[in-house]
Amino acid sequence: MMHRVLLPFEFSEPVTVAEAVSLVDGDRARALAGGVDLVLKLRLRQIVPERVVSLQKVRGLDHVRVDADAGGQAAAAGGRAEDGALHIGALATLRQVETAPAVRQRWPLLAEAIGSIVSVQTKAMGTVAGNLCVGTPASDVAPALYALGARMRIAGRDGEREIPIEQFFLDAGKTAVGPHEIVTEIVVPAPAAGSAGAFLKLSMTSEDIAKVNAAVMLTLAGGVCARAAISVGSAAPTPVRAAAAEKALTGRAIGAQAITEAADAAAEAVCPISDVRSTARYRKEMVRVLVRDALEKAAARAAAGKEA
Amino acid sequence: MTTDAFSEDAFSSVGRRLGRPDVAAKATGAALYGADITLPGMLIGRILMSPHAHARVAKIDVSKAKALPGVAAVITYDDVPKRGFTRSVMAEGLPSFAYEGENQDQFILSDKARYIGDWMAAVAAVDVYTAERALDLIEVEYEVLPAVFDPEEALEDGAPAVHDGWKDNVAGIIDHPFNRGDIEAALAASAHVVEFSGRNSRQKQAHMEPDVAIASWDSQGRLTVWSPCQNAHLAKKAMGRRVFDIGEGNVRWITPAVGGGFGARLSFGVEPVAAMLAKVAGKPVKVVVTREEDFNGWNSRTEQRQTIRIGVTEDGTINAIEQNVLSDAGAYFSHSGTISAVNMQSTLGVFRSPVVRGKATMVYTNNPTSSGMRGYGNPEGSFILQQAVDMAAEKCGMNPVEFRLKNAKGVGEPSMWEPQNLTSCALPACVEQGAEAIGWKDKWQGWGVEKQGRYRRGVGMSIMTHASGAGGFLLEHSTAVIKLNEDGSAQLSVSPCEMGQGILGTLSQIAAEATGLRYENIRVVTGDTDVTLFDIGTHASRSTYAIGNAVLDAGKKVRAAILHRAARRMDLFPEELGVRDGMVYAKADPGITISVADISREAIYDYGTDAEHIMATGKHQCVMHCPNFQAGFAEIEVDVETGVIKVLRLVIAHDIGRAINPLTVEGCLEGGAAQGLGYALTEDLVIDRQTGKVVSDSFATYKILSSLDMPEVEIILVEEPDPTGPFGAKGVGETGITNVAPSIANALYDAVGIRVHSLPMTPEKVLGALEATGPSTRPGPSARLSVAIGEVQARKAVPYS
Amino acid sequence: MASSKEIAAFLVNGNEYEVIIEPHLLLIDVLRDKLGLTGTKYACGAGDCGACTVLIDGRPSFSCLTLAVTAKGKSILTIEGVAEGNELDPIQQAFVDQGAVQCGFCTPGMILSTKALLDENPEPTRDEIKTALAGNLCRCTGYVKIVDAVEAAAAAMRDGGGR
Repeated sequence: MMHRVLLPFEFSEPVTVAEAVSLVDGDRARALAGGVDLVLKLRLRQIVPERVVSLQKVRGLDHVRVDADAGGQAAAAGGRAEDGALHIGALATLRQVETAPAVRQRWPLLAEAIGSIVSVQTKAMGTVAGNLCVGTPASDVAPALYALGARMRIAGRDGEREIPIEQFFLDAGKTAVGPHEIVTEIVVPAPAAGSAGAFLKLSMTSEDIAKVNAAVMLTLAGGVCARAAISVGSAAPTPVRAAAAEKALTGRAIGAQAITEAADAAAEAVCPISDVRSTARYRKEMVRVLVRDALEKAAARAAAGKEA
Repeated sequence: MTTDAFSEDAFSSVGRRLGRPDVAAKATGAALYGADITLPGMLIGRILMSPHAHARVAKIDVSKAKALPGVAAVITYDDVPKRGFTRSVMAEGLPSFAYEGENQDQFILSDKARYIGDWMAAVAAVDVYTAERALDLIEVEYEVLPAVFDPEEALEDGAPAVHDGWKDNVAGIIDHPFNRGDIEAALAASAHVVEFSGRNSRQKQAHMEPDVAIASWDSQGRLTVWSPCQNAHLAKKAMGRRVFDIGEGNVRWITPAVGGGFGARLSFGVEPVAAMLAKVAGKPVKVVVTREEDFNGWNSRTEQRQTIRIGVTEDGTINAIEQNVLSDAGAYFSHSGTISAVNMQSTLGVFRSPVVRGKATMVYTNNPTSSGMRGYGNPEGSFILQQAVDMAAEKCGMNPVEFRLKNAKGVGEPSMWEPQNLTSCALPACVEQGAEAIGWKDKWQGWGVEKQGRYRRGVGMSIMTHASGAGGFLLEHSTAVIKLNEDGSAQLSVSPCEMGQGILGTLSQIAAEATGLRYENIRVVTGDTDVTLFDIGTHASRSTYAIGNAVLDAGKKVRAAILHRAARRMDLFPEELGVRDGMVYAKADPGITISVADISREAIYDYGTDAEHIMATGKHQCVMHCPNFQAGFAEIEVDVETGVIKVLRLVIAHDIGRAINPLTVEGCLEGGAAQGLGYALTEDLVIDRQTGKVVSDSFATYKILSSLDMPEVEIILVEEPDPTGPFGAKGVGETGITNVAPSIANALYDAVGIRVHSLPMTPEKVLGALEATGPSTRPGPSARLSVAIGEVQARKAVPYS
Repeated sequence: MASSKEIAAFLVNGNEYEVIIEPHLLLIDVLRDKLGLTGTKYACGAGDCGACTVLIDGRPSFSCLTLAVTAKGKSILTIEGVAEGNELDPIQQAFVDQGAVQCGFCTPGMILSTKALLDENPEPTRDEIKTALAGNLCRCTGYVKIVDAVEAAAAAMRDGGGR
């Protein structure tokens, strides 16, 4: 239930990651980044923490930077590719990432996904990491990061760990961040040469959470799909990596037939619910339509040589 | 009121796009809305709202709340006067026989919760933090009762009774007052009969300013209320005679800046609770609410389920119209009766028909209650009627434009309130100009044309009539006062409700034109019932027409007084003089002038026997409601794979009579169009059918348009002055909303051959209807949407986040 | 539950204020209730409508979702700080002249989002204007004349050398 004001809590402003994780304690001591989600939850009394730990003064978390690119060879080899990767600090705002020239040039799929969030204030205040930490499958950023193969860096009292983003979302509203942990960084590998992506979203109005969204990344070589990443949001308790759909495309010539099969497989892979925004039946059908439309768009962009 | 002696070639204020006097303060943040006002010693009030849709209070313990330091008062049903009232303040303007039909079923606080959000207790404390903590300390034991959330279920035998003594939950039945003829015989005799059924969603007013009220009793038992009220003089009566028994003279109503009304402020909001808290606490109390509480609570459009049948002759003449309305009143009667009545009037009153039958049944349920919402029944009825009209046109093979022009009433014929004949009607010009603007001739290709491809375009139209005031069916009069100041400026005392529609500027322009003063020198005095004279206030799109006529009357009298004194000064006859821009001039030689300021000052500083403060009272009382008319057109593009309707263009052609301020009039129509688009496509107050909880209780889930959602809207103002309007003006305030949904619905049929029977026309429903008619979507009979509607009604409150 | 009171310094519209706050106080309430700056409006409290928009270090922000304690020492601009003295800022003047103000409740937030836009992009297209205002809901105008006003303000600032 919404309230006009918040219940009291203690407040800390650590300046290092180590200090922050020593204070953070699940729902008893919650981390605050941009506040767009946490403060709303406090108003709704969905959480009543004893302490709020602001990360806003922690050093070294507000960066958006790209590692020096060693010719993209590591990425093309399919192995771990720190080189050329995009590093998004936990305090980097959505707007910061959306407008970073490097992101617009080399990870336009991510810029496109953030662009679908139209509230300027939300993007000026809210962080990319915070958006993911809400744990909602309706995140617009998550499917794009899934399709880009992002990894999450999480710091705890025992040090840092790194997990692929597919292991980050556990259930609706639940992430892999432990009670004494915070996300410090999101690492997004450089897309391979010949890649292009597309992000699409259906919602009631422009300023709205998705009924369904989808992000795809295609790597084409001579009209053949070398690699496909397809991710769908708002259609299951977590964002979904449509593996069967990806398999339906990989190694095949990109065309209407392959795309249709992939879209059908994606629709099979989801289990949406009916809620205030839409119905399960509609969402499932729209997964098919959006994935197909996104694949067509990505394929066209790849063919045109745009990195999209 | 005629406006002879004013020449429209020489208007100084009327017709100009002038800035309004109240907006600079709004642009600087200086304007004070209710929540911005602080009084010495003021407490903050919060209301405890029921979490159950239907429950008796078995036990309520406020002792812990009362004991909290900083709490000044805690009240429950036990503390309030046992005087029932209707939430509808506007009802005070009904003639007594009709008022008796308004159920006085409301108390300041309830002993039985009848909807989720019903008001069970309230606290007043030193600050909002303490007030909210006090709410948490109130312990209520509810005896939960079976509830009913569907009006048809509420009518069944054995359904839970929402109000004791109303076993069948029928809150009221209204027969349309102008029923005539034998409907079944007339339909049987018709060459073609069409029928269309449907329902609308409970659209929220969603004014940006949440409800608020401040109440303060003085030492003599006089109550002052500050609230965003649309009819303050009626509210004064309702509070002084119904809620409390203190008399109208002991209530002073102050209206601060109002952040949007749209009809919501025609009902009591939190004012009675604020007054009760202030009485008990002995200090002023400001009651504030959250947006969530507003969504869950006490006003919205009613949901009306309707069937309309139209019978036509072979040549496309309407010979019978029937309308049946089942209205979900919600938990309290409020406006549900009057909305249904106005629905039938405006719906059954647009077209000529020898046989007419309308009947409305209002039903109690455990859903939230209603208040006025823009259009007040007209958007509800038009969505059904204008689709039935298109169906009839199709049966006759007629162009929808032609069919409407053939059957719509015109000058000299009975208006929608039949005892009055139309004195003006520019509908044909609206239709023609609107059709031209949308490109109807080229874009409407005829009935049964199947479009191809994934994205299919269509055009549709709708017409409507609306009142410019409630003359003839509600109390309808206004009084205005103009008094001159010594410097040639004037105070204009009027009592509309300026809630954004720009009425203060409009009335100032009328005053300036009528008196001959400069627009910039008109100072408006408003918003205080101790100062202003009785006025119904703002509703029924009446303010320009009715209050404008009162201002015109006062202005002409002031002008006459100025000329009378000036004539003596200038040794001429008054007829030989004119007044313009604050200067009196000789018509024969305009170089000879005296300023109004001089006249006014000399009148006051008269040391002889002829001192005068030049002022006049103007009145308007009229049984005319001077309807306005409008034609609306929509061009849309439908994605047959997603069901998404993209509105490419809207054209709205309005019969305004005279646009006193075209900038203001356009603004009203554009804003109405935005609400019409929401009503048509995106705004859905979703209520969980298991619990009665409003699931869409925030702007995140109840979707009004953002800046990126507005399509291109073209406004056409057709000016054929009405002889009875001030400078020929007619009403416009509510009207922009009404034609949007039906014109889009008719365009949908043109594009893909299906009709959606419930609002909003979401992509889910459109896709469901497309699937039901088969993949070819060949235009044909309207598709029933039982599948899609069933899914919509089965939505449960299980959000992702 | 105890929480720590502190005397905090706020820089609002170029003026320094010292206010007693606690961590759970929201910036909107500090501005409105403690500083008497009621121009910033509460309309939803949830970051859905933008009526509470203020600029914090130039960034358009929801004051209803900002803990006051995190705004200490930052430069805050509210609607009261937009005009200099008695003359309306070109954005305000354009809103008044173009009919962009109806009930006025969304107007302060709308003007601040406009200011953030024009400070960064002095020659926006109509689409860029709509995008910049997408987080500010208006129930009265249908946005048509608001977009007209922003265009007019941008033009006036380019011609007259606004502010």
